[in-house]
Amino acid sequence: MASTLATAKRPLLSLPFLSPSSCELMPLTSRRSQSSYRRTKQRLRVKPDASFGPSMTQVQGDHIVYNPPSSAPSVYHTPAKFLPNDDIRRSLRTDASVTHRNSTDITSPNETPGLKRYHLNPSDVLEIRRLRTSDPLTWSRSKLAKRFDCSPLFISMVCGASPEKKEMQKQVLEAVQSRWGTKRRMAREDRKLRKESWGRDC
Amino acid sequence: MKRLQLQRWSSSVLSPQARAGSRLPRRIQHGLRYQSTNPFPVTDAEAEQLFEEEPSRSSIRPSQISKHALPSPPVEAARESAKLAALHARLYLPSRLPLETLGRTLVDESADPNANFNNESLATLGHDLLTQYTSEYLICTYPRLPMTVIFAAMYAYVGPKTLAAMTNEWGVELAAAPGGEVDPGHLQFRRLAPGTNPNETPMRTDRRWEEQTWRRSVTSKVVNDNVFGDPVRASVNPKLLAKAAAKNTAGVSAEEASAQFVRAVVGAIYLHAGRPAAKRFFEQHFLSRHLNISDLFNFSEPARDLARLCARESFEPPVAKVLSETGRLSRHPVFVVGIFSGKDKLGEGAGSSLLEARSRASVAALKAWYLYSPMNVRLPNSMEEDGAAPWKPVHVDLGEVIV
Repeated sequence: MASTLATAKRPLLSLPFLSPSSCELMPLTSRRSQSSYRRTKQRLRVKPDASFGPSMTQVQGDHIVYNPPSSAPSVYHTPAKFLPNDDIRRSLRTDASVTHRNSTDITSPNETPGLKRYHLNPSDVLEIRRLRTSDPLTWSRSKLAKRFDCSPLFISMVCGASPEKKEMQKQVLEAVQSRWGTKRRMAREDRKLRKESWGRDC
Repeated sequence: MKRLQLQRWSSSVLSPQARAGSRLPRRIQHGLRYQSTNPFPVTDAEAEQLFEEEPSRSSIRPSQISKHALPSPPVEAARESAKLAALHARLYLPSRLPLETLGRTLVDESADPNANFNNESLATLGHDLLTQYTSEYLICTYPRLPMTVIFAAMYAYVGPKTLAAMTNEWGVELAAAPGGEVDPGHLQFRRLAPGTNPNETPMRTDRRWEEQTWRRSVTSKVVNDNVFGDPVRASVNPKLLAKAAAKNTAGVSAEEASAQFVRAVVGAIYLHAGRPAAKRFFEQHFLSRHLNISDLFNFSEPARDLARLCARESFEPPVAKVLSETGRLSRHPVFVVGIFSGKDKLGEGAGSSLLEARSRASVAALKAWYLYSPMNVRLPNSMEEDGAAPWKPVHVDLGEVIV
C-alpha cells in the first residue's frame, strides 16, 4: 500500500508505462505498431532531390546521374589555372563544367587588398631607423606604422629592434608567463600544436 | 638495340657455384669451399695478409670442412631447403633465378665476410636499381614535388623500414645466429650485441662542417647526402674495412639485414632474369604499395607561400572568401573558405575559425599546385626497350616556392 501511495504523488505524465499502449518493460522510444506503420512509412517516403531526376534539357533516355556526396575537394584535382599551357585538360575544362558560384558575389572575410602605394622614400626609411634605435620605448612598431602610414610588417622589414629592447620584451613576456597556471599553459601549448597541424592538414 | 649479355656480366658478381649451367663438375663442388672462409676470428696480421693476396683469392684450397665450421650454409644445401623453394615459389620468382642465388641473398655481410658468399654485391646493385626506378617514377609522375617531399617519398617506397616490412610480409624468418648448419631459407646475420643502440651509428662524414650543428640546406642534401637526404658515412679505407670484417665484431640490426636482403633479391633478378623481369618485380612489389603523397607535406606559412607562388606565376593575388559557414556565434563554428585568384578557385578548406579555414584552404591550393601530374606519364626507363617511341621531355617548371 505504501508503494502505491508513493507513485500517486508523482505526475502521471512522467510515467509512460502507465499508458495503455505500452507494457512496463518497454523503452521510452516509440515503437512502430500496426496502427502507426502507415504514418511512419509515409514520413520516410521523401521526394528525391531534383539533381537525381532528369533535367529538362536532357533527353528522357539513358543518362548519367552525377551527384557526388558533399565532401572536401581532392587535392589531386589540379585547378585549371595551375595546369601548364601544353596540358590538354586546360582546354577541356570550360566554364560550363565548373559549377561553383560566381566568385564576385561571395563576401571576403577581410577587406579587399588595396593596391600597393610605395609612398615612402629613402629619407623616410632612414627616419624610421633613427627613431626606432634612438627611443625604442616610445617608437614601437605600431606607433611608427601609424605615423608613416604603413603596415607594422613594413617597419619590421626596414629595421629590427635593438638587442636591449628585445631583452626587455623577453623579460616582460617571462613575467607574464610566470603568472600562468597549469591550465592556461597547457591550453596555450595545445593551441600552438593545433596551429602547427593546419599546415600538415590533419 | 642489341640484347645485352647479362650472363657474361654477372659472372664477376656471382660465385662459380651459384652460376646456372656452370661448367665445373659437380663432384668438385661437393663439400668444398673455394676460399679461406675461416669462421673463427682472424687476427689483424692475418686479415692484412688476406687483403694483400686479393688477386689469388679464387685459388682452390681443397679441404674437407664440416658444415658447422662454415660461417654460412654451403651452396649445395640450397637445393635441399624446403623454405628456400617455398620462398622462390611464393615470390613467383623467374625460374632462371636459381635457388643457390636466392640462398646467397639471405646471407648478410655480417654473417659471412667473404664477398663471394654474402649478398653485399647483389644488394649494392639492387639498391641502385630500386632508387633509380623509384626516383624516375616520382619525378615523372609528380614533376612539381618539392625536394623534401621527394626524399620522404623515396624513404617511404624503398627505405629500410619499408624493406624490412616487406621481408616480414614475404614470410622470411630470421636465424638466431648464422652458421653453416642453419637452413639456407633463413635470413642470416650477426645480431647486435645486447645494449647497443641501433640508431647510434658512427656517422662520421667527410665534411667537417657537418660536425657542427649548422643548418643543412636542401641543396646540400641533394649534392652530398644519400637518396633519402640522410648524411652518408665517410669513405673508409678498404683495408680498415677488411680488418673490421675479419674481426667480425660488429653486428647489424634486423632492419638493416632485411633491407639488404630485399635489395639483393632485386639485384639477383636483374642479373639472372634480365631488366624486364626486374622492372616487373619492382612494379608488383614496390610501386603497388599505397602511399598518399599529399600526407607528406608540411607548410609553416601556407598563405604567404601561396601569395609568392601567384606573384611568381603572374596570377592575380590570392583572395580568401567565405563560401559557407555555420554557427558563427556558437561554440563550434565551421567556416568553409575558398581561395580565389581572380575568378578561379584554387583551393578550399574548412576550419573552426576564419584563420584556420583560410590556412587550410591555402594548404589545399599549394598541394594542388605541387601534386600536378601530367596525362600520359612515360618513364625514362621505357627507352631501354626495343623500338621505343622517341623521347619527349618531361614537364619542368621553375620549381618549388622559395620565400
